[in-house]
Amino acid sequence: MVANDNVSLCVQTGEVLAILGENGAGKSTLMKIVGGLTAADVGEIFVWGKPARIRRPKDARELGIGMVHQHFMLVPDMTVAENLALGQPGALTAPSAVGAARRRVNELADRYEFGISPNTLIEDLSVGERQRVEILKLLDADARILIFDEPTAVLAQREWEHLAGVLSSLAQAGRTIILITHKLHEVFEASTRCVVLRSGRLVGSVNTADTTPDAVVEMMIGRSVDLHREATHDQIGDVALELAHVWLRDDDGRQRLVDVSLKVHDGEILGIAGIEGNGQSQLIDVACGFRNPDEGTVTLAGRNITNLGPAKQVDPDLAVIPEDRHRDGVALPMSVSDNMLIKELHNPRLFRRGWRQAARIRERDNQLIEQFDIRIPHADVYMRQLSGGNQQKVVLARELSRQPRVVIAAQPTRGLDVGAMEFVYNALRTHRNRGGATLLVSSELDELILLADRIAVMVDGRIVGTFDANDASVEKIGRLMISGVGSDG
Amino acid sequence: MAAVRAMFSASFGGVSQIGGMLRKLVPLTLVSLGWVVAFSVRRINVGLEGQILAGGTLATLVGLHVAGMPAVIQIAAVSFVGAIGGLAWAGVAAWLWARRNVNEIISTLLLNFVMIQIVSWLVNGPLEEPTHTLGQTGPISPSARWPMIEALRTRWDIVLVPIGVAVIYVLLTRTRLGFRMRATGSNNRFAAYSGLRTVRVSVLAMIISGGLAGLAGASLISSNPAGNMGENFSANFGFEGIAVALLARNHPIGCLPAAVLFAVLRQGGSLMEAQAGISSGLVLVTQGLVIGIVAASNFYVSRYRRRRIDATGQATRRTAAVPAREAIES
Repeated sequence: MVANDNVSLCVQTGEVLAILGENGAGKSTLMKIVGGLTAADVGEIFVWGKPARIRRPKDARELGIGMVHQHFMLVPDMTVAENLALGQPGALTAPSAVGAARRRVNELADRYEFGISPNTLIEDLSVGERQRVEILKLLDADARILIFDEPTAVLAQREWEHLAGVLSSLAQAGRTIILITHKLHEVFEASTRCVVLRSGRLVGSVNTADTTPDAVVEMMIGRSVDLHREATHDQIGDVALELAHVWLRDDDGRQRLVDVSLKVHDGEILGIAGIEGNGQSQLIDVACGFRNPDEGTVTLAGRNITNLGPAKQVDPDLAVIPEDRHRDGVALPMSVSDNMLIKELHNPRLFRRGWRQAARIRERDNQLIEQFDIRIPHADVYMRQLSGGNQQKVVLARELSRQPRVVIAAQPTRGLDVGAMEFVYNALRTHRNRGGATLLVSSELDELILLADRIAVMVDGRIVGTFDANDASVEKIGRLMISGVGSDG
Repeated sequence: MAAVRAMFSASFGGVSQIGGMLRKLVPLTLVSLGWVVAFSVRRINVGLEGQILAGGTLATLVGLHVAGMPAVIQIAAVSFVGAIGGLAWAGVAAWLWARRNVNEIISTLLLNFVMIQIVSWLVNGPLEEPTHTLGQTGPISPSARWPMIEALRTRWDIVLVPIGVAVIYVLLTRTRLGFRMRATGSNNRFAAYSGLRTVRVSVLAMIISGGLAGLAGASLISSNPAGNMGENFSANFGFEGIAVALLARNHPIGCLPAAVLFAVLRQGGSLMEAQAGISSGLVLVTQGLVIGIVAASNFYVSRYRRRRIDATGQATRRTAAVPAREAIES
């Protein structure tokens, strides 16, 4: 298989080029070739008009190509200046290296308004600030071409706005920026030109000013996507999941849930909005039975399930799409087949007297792969080989194929590209339309407004308001989300 | 060359040499399987040596007192209590881990020393053979020992090798318990989130692990030419078995060839010294090199396995060394 198929790309000095594509479209591979982490089978690279041989990261560095990775390469218990000095040859022998680095940090941070002091320890910096230190490192090594690999995967909105400003001032100063992303709004907020990759091929290159988001999405996935609100389903049924007066305090003494009461009805999607860290994760843990609340009850389909312990995870009425997929949702070293099987251990069709029924399991695998459009050659591939979108589809297949009455979905589209996102939305809508209840927690307000029938806003562990999604607006909910935050910092 | 020739003739040169090699194969295979089972739930059982001793001790105790019963029952009883002994000794560490949160690496390692002292006391005290001169027990009932295969100069307990490998392979890949063990070992939190009682599964894996070592202990008593228990009869098999499992990359089927290699190295070491004038320490060096090479090759194997599946459902081209965490990015 070919990750990059005959891609030709030309980047001008001083532009911010966005490379856009779905997960697995070949964006990262292309940039790894440029950065010297991977060698191309065929093809040439020209830097400043001259043919270049980039065989290892060092070659790229010498040509002035620098990369900011998703995972930062910084020593946490050293200062900013020390981290910069480490990147210089002979840093460990020259006592003045740190002092010199300190001066350079001051100078660069001033010029680009980074607001970073050279004597701060890395571990005391926020994620956004650490990213700025990574940029400082590249500038310090005089990189002329800066590649950012999905830089916003870890950033809050405000930090992204700052980064976008930095990118444009770097470009104006004559440096070249390449931004790898799959988020549309970033393309339109920061780039001057955008190229789209699909299945390893370059499918389009446009000036950002001359195009629209819809046109770019169509290029990205080869068809237009319908990410629009559906009319609210009006067949609201009985209460399927109810939390009544739930309180929870963390081990560190912080009160996480304060008298939370909510009801999710059959045929309804109840959205939970809120800035992250306001108790949503704890709410999920309590609602799906992973943690016992200090006070209050959880009722599922008329049964009190408050203190049943983790074994109720395989409750036939309940499906959970966990917030942290890699930690709670899948086992990366196991096969796709095993990952889809873990909740079926007591299914007499698939396990008879403790023995796997291989043929039936295989049949079920193939059925689910087709039904949930999981793009893999067969079910024995390891979970870690899959892209994020495919992994999430495996989770959906496992959870939704059991036809549960209640689905608890936490950040179900985190890290997914547009195509996979649409798939998740449709799966949740299908569940609702056949009369299922859904509790949807998301930090993306747009997503909630798109999907939910009602939206409850959480601030500091409290439900501070509930809206009918039909007359909710981003502004109204957003204001409420922020209004209670001040007390918590 | 002379050294290599000596090593091979020591293991394959004649019937009695083959027999000696096969006798070492039994404990090496069973112990390595024990490690594999515990490691399937990511528990580190370094107490296999002590579990061999515990199993062998119980087997001896029973073997000394079963004379007169049918041979089949005697053999079955000795093997069974051997497994129980190892299982119980591992159970101590498993209990400490599950209920008192004691790290199992430390507890299993230290329990080895306890068991060494217990065996030493038994063979020099209560169980010492009648003449009280040799620091070993009297022989167990002859019909409690596995019968000889005369053609191979070894005993029938050699059948435990293919049976053990097959049973553990089937357990891990074809059964519900095996699935639970692999899921627990792959991602404990995920397994718990999916309704598995991971602590219970882990304890089960740890005591099965000890049971295999205990069975190896019973087999060591049985295959000992004198048919008795002496001090240190575990002879470091409990640690070499770990190396075998590492060489097999924790795959039960791989344990078989890996155990053969280590049995040859062990059998050949002594003869190499005598015939070629080479220190048997060289065998240890060879073992170390083999393990080192296998560990290094993990890097290439995992690189191959980390190939991504792209949007079209095909495996992407293998890429050059990329830090592991990048391959897992979403």
